[in-house]
Amino acid sequence: MRFGIYLPPKAEGEKCPVLYWLSGLTCTEQNFITKAGSQQEAAEHGIIIVSPDTSPRGCNIEGEDESWDFGTGAGFYVNATEDLWKINYRMYSYITEELPHLISSNFPADSERMSISGHSMGGHGALICALKNPGKYKCVSAFAPICNPMQCPWGQKAFNGYLGSDKSKWESYDATVLVSTYSGPQLDILIDQGRDDQFLAAGQLLPDNLIAACTEKKIPLVFRLQQGYDHSYYFVCSFISNHVKHHAKYLNA
Amino acid sequence: ACFSLLPSPPVIKKKVCRSCPNAALIRWESGNTNPVDSYTVELGEISRERSETAVTESIVGIPTYESIIQLLSGRSYLIYVRAVNIGGPSERSDPVIIYTTGGTLFHLNEETAHPSLAISEDGFTMFYGDEYTELNDITLSDNAFSRCVAIMGELIPIRGKHYWEVEVEEHTEYRIGVAYEDTQRNGYLGANNTSWCMRHVMTPSRHKYEFLHNGSTPDIRITMHPKRIGVSLDYETGKLAFFNTDLSQHIYTYKCHFLHYVHPCFALEKPGALTVHNGIEAPEYITFS
Repeated sequence: MRFGIYLPPKAEGEKCPVLYWLSGLTCTEQNFITKAGSQQEAAEHGIIIVSPDTSPRGCNIEGEDESWDFGTGAGFYVNATEDLWKINYRMYSYITEELPHLISSNFPADSERMSISGHSMGGHGALICALKNPGKYKCVSAFAPICNPMQCPWGQKAFNGYLGSDKSKWESYDATVLVSTYSGPQLDILIDQGRDDQFLAAGQLLPDNLIAACTEKKIPLVFRLQQGYDHSYYFVCSFISNHVKHHAKYLNA
Repeated sequence: ACFSLLPSPPVIKKKVCRSCPNAALIRWESGNTNPVDSYTVELGEISRERSETAVTESIVGIPTYESIIQLLSGRSYLIYVRAVNIGGPSERSDPVIIYTTGGTLFHLNEETAHPSLAISEDGFTMFYGDEYTELNDITLSDNAFSRCVAIMGELIPIRGKHYWEVEVEEHTEYRIGVAYEDTQRNGYLGANNTSWCMRHVMTPSRHKYEFLHNGSTPDIRITMHPKRIGVSLDYETGKLAFFNTDLSQHIYTYKCHFLHYVHPCFALEKPGALTVHNGIEAPEYITFS
């Protein structure tokens, strides 16, 4: 598995907190590094940024390269249970356990201070990782996340393929469902969503469902619908500094 | 021989002096019937170690009846004023004590209040009663809001950062923010380009929050309804930010280039109450907005 890592100047002298960035469908570890423009804000706040790949690659699994929204580049941050995928496609464990261990063992990272963010499928990944691990992440934010994958075509295709047809197994990877059972330290979720995002109109993202669930469960969330923005990295790079600052507030507290 | 009388010492108008963490606005009356050429402000920091406060700084040649003095935060100062004419300087005025340990302090200007508003005795709570006051039978000051049930606070004429908090009930419908001195008194806060405000109203389905300037707002949804809202004004960076202080949560930041100093402003959309808390230190988390 490949990952990108940004080390701020402060890391030359001391351990720094880590922001894990999860990318979306079709992305590799490179997209965020080259397109988001996060380094300046991360440098200012002394934050390490780690951007993993979005799936294992070259596993020789039948069908892994057939779709852009399933298989290669589309790991959905779950631990697959279906036979074809369960050995290689364990992105949830990779993000929450294996990668943090690797980072803290090899880089000047403070393992007690980490937070998580992401875009689209990665936004879904960030939300579920934070909700399933109360207290592990100091902060969570997302750009155009897939908020309720059980109810959208992307999520249904991925969950069916990785987890099988038993929908009770899907619930533990759906942020909107997880919110309703969340019990842990107070969160402060920031979500930015482009108003002109084609996938919002297509019913793939469903932020209203997450907002309703957070309102019901009294989980703090600020959701910003940004006029004129689509699903692209132009959108991400326009607001990434806001998100890094949001994370810095908690990572540097 | 030609004799010139020394001027009399000015009288500092203590009630209208204002301070914030890094500066103070000192205002005075001349105290003289004859013309005064200029004024001199003298100040010294009050120290626990010394019983008397020595004057360590003078600002000379002040042509008007007020001056903004740059100070250090977290201190206490004794400030005097002298009048100066051709004959020389007057005795020092009675001093005013200025504290820069708290935050920015301002009072609500009752002259600007819509007639439907009542102000508490301490001057920091506004009430909109159950009956809207019709304007037909009363003479309204030019300075008072006539449509928006609003009131303005005193001008904040000092550069730098300022912070205050507003306490509301969960279902209070309000507008809180800032406005220029000349904002239209027959307009609504946020509906023009001279005011910026956070607005909360109840719809049949949800709490609705708007951040209005020039009549438009971004689309923001909040899941926790603030009962104590922090307002941070930074003239240098041109930012006006709002926070849910109970959660230390940043809600929204305007990025604007203020052409003039602004007044804090407050309005109630429906009967209810709102309390202003100021003269308090800004919490650290607001620096991340």
